[in-house]
Amino acid sequence: MDLLAQVLANGVLLGGLYAVMALGLALAWGVLNIVNLAHGSFIMLGGYAAWYLFTWLHIDPFLGLPLTAAMMFALGYALQRGVLNLIVRAPMFNTLLLTFGLDVVLSYLAQIVFSADFRTINPPYAGSQLNLGAVVLPVARLGAFTAAIVLTVGMWLFLLHTRIGRAIRATAQNLNAARLYGVEPRHLYALTFAIGCALAGASGALYGTVSQINPYIGATLTAKSFAIAIIGGLDNPLGVLVGGLFLGLIESLTALYIGPTWSDVASFGILVLVLIVRPTGLLGRTA
Amino acid sequence: MNASKVLLQVDALSAGYGPMRVLHEISLTVCRAEIVALVGSNGAGKTTLLRALSRLLPSEGHITLNGQALDAMTPDQVFARGMVQVPEGRQLFDRMSVEDNLLMGAYARRDTVTVRRDIERMYALFPRLGERRRQLAGSMSGGEQQMCAMARALMAAPVLMMIDEMSLGLAPVVVDQLLDVLTEIRRNGVTVLLVEQDVQVALSIADRAYVIETGRVALDGSAEALRHDPAVRQAYLGI
Repeated sequence: MDLLAQVLANGVLLGGLYAVMALGLALAWGVLNIVNLAHGSFIMLGGYAAWYLFTWLHIDPFLGLPLTAAMMFALGYALQRGVLNLIVRAPMFNTLLLTFGLDVVLSYLAQIVFSADFRTINPPYAGSQLNLGAVVLPVARLGAFTAAIVLTVGMWLFLLHTRIGRAIRATAQNLNAARLYGVEPRHLYALTFAIGCALAGASGALYGTVSQINPYIGATLTAKSFAIAIIGGLDNPLGVLVGGLFLGLIESLTALYIGPTWSDVASFGILVLVLIVRPTGLLGRTA
Repeated sequence: MNASKVLLQVDALSAGYGPMRVLHEISLTVCRAEIVALVGSNGAGKTTLLRALSRLLPSEGHITLNGQALDAMTPDQVFARGMVQVPEGRQLFDRMSVEDNLLMGAYARRDTVTVRRDIERMYALFPRLGERRRQLAGSMSGGEQQMCAMARALMAAPVLMMIDEMSLGLAPVVVDQLLDVLTEIRRNGVTVLLVEQDVQVALSIADRAYVIETGRVALDGSAEALRHDPAVRQAYLGI
């Protein structure tokens, strides 16, 4: 029983992190209609940014989150204005090709610049744990989970209650009507994509504190983000949060009862099932 | 027509899609606080004319709003000068609340305090929207959606509001309510260009009207005169 409780706790902690990873992908997908295959590479870049900030400048990865996010925001804005704007609202195939190319370029550049070594951000509290009787929570994981929840809920509130957030939702729902009332799509698209990148970067920093980063983690993380976006829907960050928790729990439970090698099989099996049974997503709308 | 009262002046406007001409030398005038109807059957070129006026479609001829030439402007610039559209089919943000839709109408405005006040004015003008301010726009009835679309356009603080097919698909009793609102809107100094297939509805509210046939102005005059015009009665009113 204690084991189950511990595994559930692990699943929830992992799921929160998954959610914030998928958030940026869902955002760009819903608003720009781009399934960004390079999304996982942005997570990877965020992880390295946090690693260098920590290793060279001794900036704590959690305190450095705004900095990491800001750097990725700038990169995202530039990429969208310079490259991805060419394929906004283009047929899906073009967007897949371009972002796949971007993914390849980024991961090989990362290999040249950062080397293929595995890196982990090791703050002093990396080994600390919080003992709650039935379950033990590693402090770093708990911190990453908390940050992920704050980011997700913050994103939800931003979309719901700010002028730019409203415009992002409106553009996702009806581009023509949004233009009719003064929304300038090029700027808004770049802003949306940049926000997605910033979230990816922040999640990469969190990932680096609880797991290992190397130049090739992108592909798997893109696939997981994709699965979560499908399960949670593109409309609502809270849906993505539920999708992330769902995936985290499935993976942890599979690892316990069937075997760790099966956890990816289980999570992508669920994705296929969702696509068959409820192609609109479990919770909301999917493109 | 007193020149100082003229809001929109269109001279010999021609436009089309590629080699196909749709509009042929259309000229019309809209004065301040007037309700002017643009009527005609399907395919007469009414929507094309609206697209040309809001500069979504290039055209020949001259368009001036408030004495300013619009010919070289982009749709954004035309919008910024107060020419606001209520598009055909309403085009609401379906999965956003009524209030969010209204706020989107005011997207380009930075005056938060007056925007807030204008939203309350919209709820006074359309009490149904006030009751449903938290409801998703797409879940409302057709009439309520049309009200929401008009309120959203009014939130942009228009000088000239162009309404495309306001009455399409709505019950007559709902159309009557909308017409009452139009009168109210005009009383507040907003000029209305009403583009309608339903000639009877349009002529019942407008001060003046232009009848468009195959891309040309076939007839124009006061709504009163057109209602009694034998050609209009036979072709459009079925009398």
